[in-house]
This record gives sequence, structure tokens and C-alpha cells, in this order.
Amino acid sequence: MKSYKDSLIYKQASFSLGLSLLYTLIIGLAAFEWETFEIRPQVMILMLANGIFSIIQAGLVWKLKRESRKTLVISKSSQLIAGGLIVSLLGGNIFLLISSLYIMKKQVRPGYIYAVYMVVTDLLVIGVSALNLFKPFVTNTFIPAMALLLVVVVLHLIVLVGYEKVQKLTGVPRMIILGILTLTVLTGNLFVLLVAYSMVRQSQEEPGVNRRKTLFEKIIRNQASMTGLLFIIFLVAISICSYWTFSYGLAVNNDYGNILQPPSLVYPFGTDNFGRDVFSRIVFGARISLTVGVLATMIPLIFGGLLGAISGYYGRHTDNLIMRFLDILYAIPGILLAITIVAAFGASTSNLIIALSIGYIPSYARTMRANVIQVTNLEYVEASRAVGNDNRNIIWKHVIPNSMAPMIVRATLTIGSAIIATSSLSYLGLGVENYIPEWGNILRSGSAYLETEPYLAIYPGLAIIALVLSFNFLGDGIRDATDPRLS
Amino acid sequence: MKNEVITQQDQTFLQSIKRQYGNAYLSPFYRIGLILLGLPFQLIVFIAFIYKKYIKKQNGQVWEEARQLLIDKGYDQQLKSELLKQERNKQAFFDKSLSEKETSKRVDDLFNQQFKKAVDKKADEIFKNSNREKVTYLGLTEQFIGQLPLFILSVVIGFPMYLLMLIHSNPFVKYLFERLLMMMLVILGVTVIVFTLLYFSPSDAARNIIGETATQEQIDNFNAVYGLDDPYIVQLWRTIKGVFTFDLGNAYSGNQDVVNTIMRRFPVTMELAIFALLIALVIALPAGIYSAVKSNTLFDHVFMFIALIGLSIPSFWQGLIFILTFSIELGWLPATYNAENFSSLIMPAVVLGTLLMASVARMTRSSTLEVMNEDYILTARSKGLSNGRVMLRHAVPNALIPIVTIIGLQFGGVLGGAAVTEQVFNINGIGSYIVERQFIPDIPAVLGGVIYVAIVLSVINVVIDMLYALIDPRIRTNLKRH
Repeated sequence: MKSYKDSLIYKQASFSLGLSLLYTLIIGLAAFEWETFEIRPQVMILMLANGIFSIIQAGLVWKLKRESRKTLVISKSSQLIAGGLIVSLLGGNIFLLISSLYIMKKQVRPGYIYAVYMVVTDLLVIGVSALNLFKPFVTNTFIPAMALLLVVVVLHLIVLVGYEKVQKLTGVPRMIILGILTLTVLTGNLFVLLVAYSMVRQSQEEPGVNRRKTLFEKIIRNQASMTGLLFIIFLVAISICSYWTFSYGLAVNNDYGNILQPPSLVYPFGTDNFGRDVFSRIVFGARISLTVGVLATMIPLIFGGLLGAISGYYGRHTDNLIMRFLDILYAIPGILLAITIVAAFGASTSNLIIALSIGYIPSYARTMRANVIQVTNLEYVEASRAVGNDNRNIIWKHVIPNSMAPMIVRATLTIGSAIIATSSLSYLGLGVENYIPEWGNILRSGSAYLETEPYLAIYPGLAIIALVLSFNFLGDGIRDATDPRLS
Repeated sequence: MKNEVITQQDQTFLQSIKRQYGNAYLSPFYRIGLILLGLPFQLIVFIAFIYKKYIKKQNGQVWEEARQLLIDKGYDQQLKSELLKQERNKQAFFDKSLSEKETSKRVDDLFNQQFKKAVDKKADEIFKNSNREKVTYLGLTEQFIGQLPLFILSVVIGFPMYLLMLIHSNPFVKYLFERLLMMMLVILGVTVIVFTLLYFSPSDAARNIIGETATQEQIDNFNAVYGLDDPYIVQLWRTIKGVFTFDLGNAYSGNQDVVNTIMRRFPVTMELAIFALLIALVIALPAGIYSAVKSNTLFDHVFMFIALIGLSIPSFWQGLIFILTFSIELGWLPATYNAENFSSLIMPAVVLGTLLMASVARMTRSSTLEVMNEDYILTARSKGLSNGRVMLRHAVPNALIPIVTIIGLQFGGVLGGAAVTEQVFNINGIGSYIVERQFIPDIPAVLGGVIYVAIVLSVINVVIDMLYALIDPRIRTNLKRH
């Protein structure tokens, strides 16, 4: 019989192997110049290195599997190999880093896992920001900001390596460390909060008592959704850090000396027809896509949720009235409703958010209503009513909290479709104002050069897919974690 | 049960009509319909009813009698003290004491309610014992219908009422009728919402169309031609009437009839949408079922990953990549749509159908997996049926039911998504019409386009609901029971 931790490590190791192979393959494809059949030597070396690392990882996975038949403890030799594989970070292979950090630890706790992801996010942010070093100039705040980020990553590394020691601290030193750690969330690295939360929770644990696992403890077992979460939090962090590490001028100012440059180290994704750096534009576009996506999800979540809760709890005529009204809204396809609102009130980001939100309200209300009807018929609601609680109290204290799980899943999945809708409308010229570097706008200007410079349209599209895919993975993970049938 | 069978056999034609009337009268909605549609006949019955009840006083003083009877028995005092005791107990339990006045007020309220109920019950009992029939409006109507001459009279002067009864008597027709009525309301609501949104637009249509240099006279003339100087209600009424009579006037620019243009462009979009739907189903259904059968294998993982990508891909980007690959690099398919060339429809249809394909595939997989764990599948296996037969005869048909719903829900997304896809592939459909017109902004065109798309969607949803009732035996029985 395998214990949970071993299977978690094994699962992570094989998952990382798969991603590492995929990463190697992509580099391999990039190493060839397809038109001339030439090979780019540096990229080829990178690919070969990653290929070797992947092969070692494959051997390690096989070794782990064989050893787990005899003993549950991971052998010293496996840990040594894993330690050696950390070198793969030099090849940009973060997936092997994650699995190595898992294997090297004797006891993998949720807090430790989040600490691993926290450090990986830091490294990604620093790595992407460091690409600015190749630019002809950097912003004035670049050097102090990078120095600060390096300090933060060292602090996070200390927490990661000395995780058990920090956990054993008590009293004031512990408070100070946790306080400083929590403060570093200002870089946008939300994993910090999860680490601090897990540490506090773990210290409250009593030996021998089996508590119900929280969502955050369950979701770490789903590697795909953790990867999605990593990408989302990386984008949040880079959106915040880019205020100081990226030059906004490169993204919006015209530079007619550098029109339509192909991808290079200076301009990783090339430049567009006004000489603007597409890479910087995509980095700055992330914050708009995230903000619009999150707002266009939160507003209907709140309004739709409330309408659904009232409708489901009171039933009869209230229900009929609200649901019939929402049926009308539901009959108009979301995009067409958005186009109508934009036609009436003009194209702007705030109108776009309102338009998308209204379109999503009916589906949230329906989900909430179904849950509330189910919960309202349960015994504890009846008990609450019997001891004399009034309706408002029952709805806020019992009904809404207990019907939130499917709403959260739906919200996570909707953020993805809201991001797609935003960029689609921007592509049509109906969304975000066209001078703002939003992913749909970047694609719109790039699509004119599809025949000659296809990369202008390909990279922003890949960014959209990666973000939406991440939210979809995360949503699937949360759904599995909150589904009582699966746990 | 036995009784029911006998009465059903004994029923004559008139009696069965009487019974149908009684059934239909029970629901408040149909009650109003019956009264309105058979108004002349209902008036006659009403006069007779008033005559019997208030002038001849056939109901008599039964209620008063029952009340006196209960008071004589001392029931009222008994009930009152009982309620008072309950209220006191309740206050003691919750540790809340109210003033004497408040307490007696609560008790009185409860007492009035419960005593009235008791009296009603008693009165019914008296009617039953004395073998008299209480004069009610429904009873009298049924009595009228039961007599042949009066029945013929009612058919002559109130026959629409019988049409409604005919609808009510067949559960399937009744469901369809109610669904259609609902659809009408939804269309009305959509018209009101879309019109109101566009009416409150801050932009001035006349200045947009004629230009900034327009004189006041030109603007007034423009507003008069398009009726923009009428008050809100008048314009709204004209729009509603226009939607149902297919006459929304001319578009602001180009001076073409809006509905005519929409009717010309709609078939293109529908052809595209239906083709997209077909492609999606042909690929997604088998793949989803196969994924469920081989769940947790490599095929399953890879295919579900592809489906997730399908959910995450923006359709305009997918369209651009398709054009880049299949038109520019490989030169297999034309990049823009052309009505004569069928192959030019393939790329737009695949792009438009991707989202539907992905969600149908995921839904098929999960619903097939769910069905495969049902007891009847185990039964089928234990009978010794082959694996393929179990899947095709028992699992798949049952798994299809939720998929029909998903298709209905997603079809709205397909029609909305057509706006984007049509722009990418340069197709002259309804979606690109709305998008092009909103830049002007040409209010009648946008309004008409959005409303007619919503109407088509509503009709499709009614058809799907009907389909649902046909393929799902559980819904069929549910329909019959109500």
C-alpha cells in the first residue's frame, strides 16, 4: 500500500517529467530555422541539456516506483539524484526543480509545497524582468526593484530550506518571520499568503486528530491545477512588478527606426508596425486582462448570487418574477448584449466590464438558485428556523456559505471565458480603447501582418490561451476538490 | 382505483367534458383564460350564480349555523386557552417575555385564523350530512355544461373556451402551448430591454449620421423621418409592433429596409451555425464516449487536454492561425467565404464549432461515466450482454439526455460567436451585420439584428425542450402527471 505522501511525490515526479519532455520538444522545434533548415547552435545546446535532464528524471521516476514496493521512505540515492537535477534550472526547466524539491524533503507538508511554488514564482518574475537587460535602456527604477526582488527571493529561499525550523519557532521570532513573509505579498506573489496560512494552520494541528482538509490542502494533489495557479500568480506578480521593472514607453511609444523587427533577445517577441516592443506590450496587457476578467466575474457573482439566493430561498412568486426576468436576459447571447451596450454607450473598459457582467448574471443566478433550493431543504436550516432565527440571518449564515462551492468553481471557469470575450471584443474594436496595450488589441494590430510577420499575432494569442487554460485547469481542480463524491 | 375505472367507463361525452372543465379550472392561469375566452357564457352562469346564492340564498345560513354549533360546544374557549398556553411556553423557551397586550394580540390573530378554518370544516360537514350541494361557481358551471341544451348554447357563444380546454386536456400540447406563451413573453421582454438600452444612448443619432455640420432644420427633419421625436412609450410600442409584423423601417445609413437585410443575411449565419453544430457532434460524441470507455488511459488524458484547449482558445485567434496554416502556408482552403464554394465553409464552421465541440465532448464523457455506474448497466452486463451492446443500447442513449441540454445552452454562444468568426472570415452574415452597423451606430439595424437573433434562439430552445420531452421518458411521465 502506498501512503499519500509517496504517491504525491511520485505523481509530481512523473507529471514534471511529462512537462519537461514537452518543454524540450518546444525548444527543439525552436532550434530549427524551418525555411533554411539551419540549426541555431545555442538553442540546440539548451535542448540537448534539457533532453539529458529529462532522461535522468525518467530514470529517477522508474527508480522511485521500484523502491516504493519495498519501503515508503525515499532512499538517499534518489534524493542525491534529485539534488543534482536542480542544475536543470539553468536550462530554464522549472518543472524538474519542483519535483526535485519535493523529493529532497523528508516530509512534504502543504506549506512546504506552497513555499516551493512561491520561490518558483519569484524566479520566474526575476527571469522575465531580467530580459530587460538586453534592451538599449532600462527604467530608472529597474535596478532598485531588481535588488528588492533578489532580497525577497533570498528570504523566501530561507523559509523554503528551513521550513521545519521556522515552523518550530515560537513566540516573537516566529511572529516577526511570518510578518515579514506576509509583507512580501506586495510583490504580487500570492503564494506567500498560502504559505503563511498553511504554516499557521499546521501549528494549530493536534497530533492524532484528523481534521477535514481545506480546499488549499486538497488542491495540491492536482498537479495540473497547481501549474495553472502558478501561471496565474506569476502573471499577477509580473503585472505588479512590471510597474518598476518594465519601461511603459517601450510598449506604447512609436519608434519608427525599429518597425517590424523579428524576435531577438532585445525584442523577444519582435516589434509591431509602430516599432513597439510586443513583449513589453504583452506583459503590460496582462494586468488589463486579469482586471477585466476578475471584475467581470466578481460583479455577476455578487449580483447573480444574491438574486439566485433570494429566488431559491423565498420560492413561489418571488422566484417566478426574478427567474422570468433573468430568462429574458439569458435569451440574448452575451456577445450581442455587449455589442448592444457598447453601441449605446460607446467603447470603453468600464462599459465593457458592465456589459460582460450583465450577460453573466443569469447563469450565476441559476446555479445559486439550484444550490440554495437544495440547501434550504436540509435539516440544519430547519433547525435554525426552529430556534427563532429570522430569514435574513438564515440566508447569510447558513444558506449562502453552504451553497458557495459550485459558485466558486463557476467563477474560476468564467474568468477564462470573460478574458476570451474581452479580447474578442477588443479584436472587433468594441472593447478596450485601442491605444491601451490589451492582448486583443495587440492581436488586432498584428493580424494585419499575418502573411509576413505571423509572430505578431501568434504570441499574444498564446498568452491568452495560456491564461485561460490556467483558469480552466484551476477550475477543474477546485471542482474535483469540492466535489463530495470524489473525496 | 377501481372506482375510478368504473366512473371512467360510465362517463358520457358530456360528463367527460365536465371533468375536463373542472381540471382546467383548478389552475389559476387557465381559470382566467376560461373566463375570458368564454365571457358571454360565463356571464350567464354568473348571473345564475348570483341569483341562487344571494337572492334565493340556497347556501342558507349553514356557515352561521356551524359557527353557533362550535360556540355552543365551547370549542372557541378551548382553542383560545390552548393557544395562550402555547404562546406562553414559546416565550418561556426563548427567554423573551412580551407585554400582556402584545401576547393577547398574537393569540387573537392565531385564534381568528384557526377558528375560521374549523368553522369552514364544520360547514362542509353539515352540507355533506344534509345531502345538499353547496352552490359554488365551478359547480354551477359544470352543471350547466352537463345539460345538453345549455352545453350547445355554451359552444355557440363561448367556443374559444373549448379550444383552451382541448389544449389543456393533452399534456404534450399543453406543455407546448405554455412554452410558446413563455417564448412570446421572453421576446417581448428582449424587445423592451434592447430598445430601452439603445433609447438611453447618450449619442445623438442625427448628428452621427448627417455629420457635425448639420443644421437644426436637418436634425429636426431626420428625427421626424425616423420618429425619434416621439415619446418613449410611442417609440417602444412601434418597435414591438414592428418586431411582430416584420417591419422595423429603414436603417439610418444606406436607407435599406432593416428586416429585409436581416432576412437576407440570416440564412448564411444559420448555414454556418448548423454546419458547425454537425461537425462538433460528429467529432465530439464518438470521442467523448470512447474517452469514457477508456477512462484514465493515455487517449483519455490527451483527448481531454485537447478539449480543454478547445475551451480556452479565442475563436478569432484560431481563425487567424487556420488562415495562416491552411490558406497562406499550405494553400488548401480559401481564406474568405464564398457562397458558391463549399470548401470555404469548412474553416469557419470548424472555428465556430470548436467551443461547442469541446464542451459537448467533456459533457459526453462525464455523463457516460455517470451512466456506466448505474445499476441497470450492471444488470445488463450480468445478463451476459457484450460490452459493445451494453454501451450502445443501454449507456449511450441515457447519457445523451444531458447532452441535448448542453447543445441548447451552447447554441446561443454559437450564434453570438458567429459575430466574431464572420468578421475573421469576411462572411456576410447577421453577426457581421450587427458589428458593422454598431460602428455608425445604426440603431434600427443593431436593434433588429439582436432581437431577431434572440427570437431564433428562443424558437430553437422551444424545439429542444420538445425534443427533450420526446426522448426522455421521465419527462413524459412527469408531463402526464401534472
